[in-house]
Amino acid sequence: MTRRVPAAVYFALFAMVAFNFAPFYWMVTSSLKDSTEVVSFPATLWPRTFTGAAYREIWLHAGFTGYFLNSLIIAAVTAVLSSTFGLFAAYGFSRFRFPFRTALMTLFLATQMIPGVLLVVPYFKLLTQVGLFDTRIGLILALTSITLPFSVWMLKGYIDAVPAEIDQAAMMDGATRLQALRLVVLPTVLPGLVATMTFAFLLAWGDVLWALCLISDEAKLTMTLGIARLIGQFRVDWSQAMAAVVIASVIPALLYLMMQRFLVRGVAEGSVRD
Amino acid sequence: MAIRGLRISEELRGFLFVAPALLLLVLVLGFPAIAAGLQSLNLMWVEKPAFSLAAYRQLAEDPAFTRAALNTAMFVTATVAFHLLAGLGLALLLNMELRFKWFFRVAALLPWTVPDVVAGLVWRFMVDPLAGLVNSLAITLRLTNEPVDWLGDVMLARICLVVAEGWRAYPFIMLILLAGLQAIPRAQYEAAQIDGASAWQSFIHVTLPNLRTMLIIALVLDTIWECRLFGMVFSLTGGGPGDATQTLPLLVYRQNFEFFNTAYSAAIAVVLALAMFAIAVPYLRMTMKQQA
Repeated sequence: MTRRVPAAVYFALFAMVAFNFAPFYWMVTSSLKDSTEVVSFPATLWPRTFTGAAYREIWLHAGFTGYFLNSLIIAAVTAVLSSTFGLFAAYGFSRFRFPFRTALMTLFLATQMIPGVLLVVPYFKLLTQVGLFDTRIGLILALTSITLPFSVWMLKGYIDAVPAEIDQAAMMDGATRLQALRLVVLPTVLPGLVATMTFAFLLAWGDVLWALCLISDEAKLTMTLGIARLIGQFRVDWSQAMAAVVIASVIPALLYLMMQRFLVRGVAEGSVRD
Repeated sequence: MAIRGLRISEELRGFLFVAPALLLLVLVLGFPAIAAGLQSLNLMWVEKPAFSLAAYRQLAEDPAFTRAALNTAMFVTATVAFHLLAGLGLALLLNMELRFKWFFRVAALLPWTVPDVVAGLVWRFMVDPLAGLVNSLAITLRLTNEPVDWLGDVMLARICLVVAEGWRAYPFIMLILLAGLQAIPRAQYEAAQIDGASAWQSFIHVTLPNLRTMLIIALVLDTIWECRLFGMVFSLTGGGPGDATQTLPLLVYRQNFEFFNTAYSAAIAVVLALAMFAIAVPYLRMTMKQQA
């Protein structure tokens, strides 16, 4: 009983694909041009020179190897931390009733209404006082706090879907609360945990504001910060800039392609909290 | 149940699960948020703390603040409208029985994975007057004879910003709305069909009412996300030309890190936060009711 889909629909979809892919096309082809061709007028739609020089330059001399590794470490640790803290909090909110429970949950959600620019300056002063300014730990703690609220809400959605009787049964058999969480609930919500971690990773990888304000040491720059610094330079080498942009986009895109199914379901299950 | 001989109640136990996350939020978000408030009132991190509304008075008289507030309102309205319209349109298409559905789905969401500061830089090069793709195509198609300086013109720069941020974030709004569409029971459409409703009529009378909650959630969340957007503006226009695209987050950043007006920058940030909070109240209340 499926209705036939009119051709106009496919036409619209191909227009969408063209619009979505155009910037990707432009960053990839530009990164493969040499530094003269990339700024020639009118622009060439397909690289005439076709060289990997920009990547070599960015990777070997401009320090992006280090930035890449920093971003990878910072985003990965943030994802692990926020989903660990998040898992415990979500379990607490899902399985227990205690005073101010709803208020606390709303408070977690309300942290989204605080713009990052409000927090960075005081947080920066706080970090300086405890000697954590310009450290990866300081940045990771900040990013973990930003990703934590939605991690809690997302994970709570997944844990709510697991019947509480299962924990009760495990505890009847002599398991403690923590064992019930680890041995019974955790394996069931694992896909949700993976989705939550992916979201947190993407958010941490994409951050530039916090890194901009908390990191100054060249050796600790992140990918996005390295790219932000390219903008400040007197003359932008666009083929190198686009090579950096391609590298910065590859990890999130790959992660999304691998986790696609989990992510879409994560949103579909009504856990749309950033 | 006992831990080291101490009997603890179920209530306390539940709270203990939440405590570590709560502590982290208080330290990293709660304390700085309060500090920013105190700072804007000249009560913290100054030599002689004394209550003063000077920063807020300055704000009322500063044309740069008014400009940025207007820019933010314009930018957020246009961008959210873009996201909702394009997102809803695409969600409706992707909800059909398509061939190559997986391909369209993957392609639909891809822009959203690009970090905003990165997307901003790509779009900046897309609209580069001489070497950009947009002008190159426009000239090839003979839409214009001379290269257009997209980011040098007030209105064009604003449009570029909306299109670039529209491109980056409409896929996620699409995803939220698609989830909403898929939750609509098929039977309602079949009933409408039996009653002789046209496609347009079933969209108005079945799809929209069912999608209402999801639309409101998407509207509120997206408004908040765009209000606090930083990286995209920072890398695409840097607020220019002049201050034509300077939004509030960028102004806060500048006032603090370029002009070192700490108290003033905190005051602007507080005003922005209060505005965002006011927008979010209906959403927060809705969630609270659901969870009670």
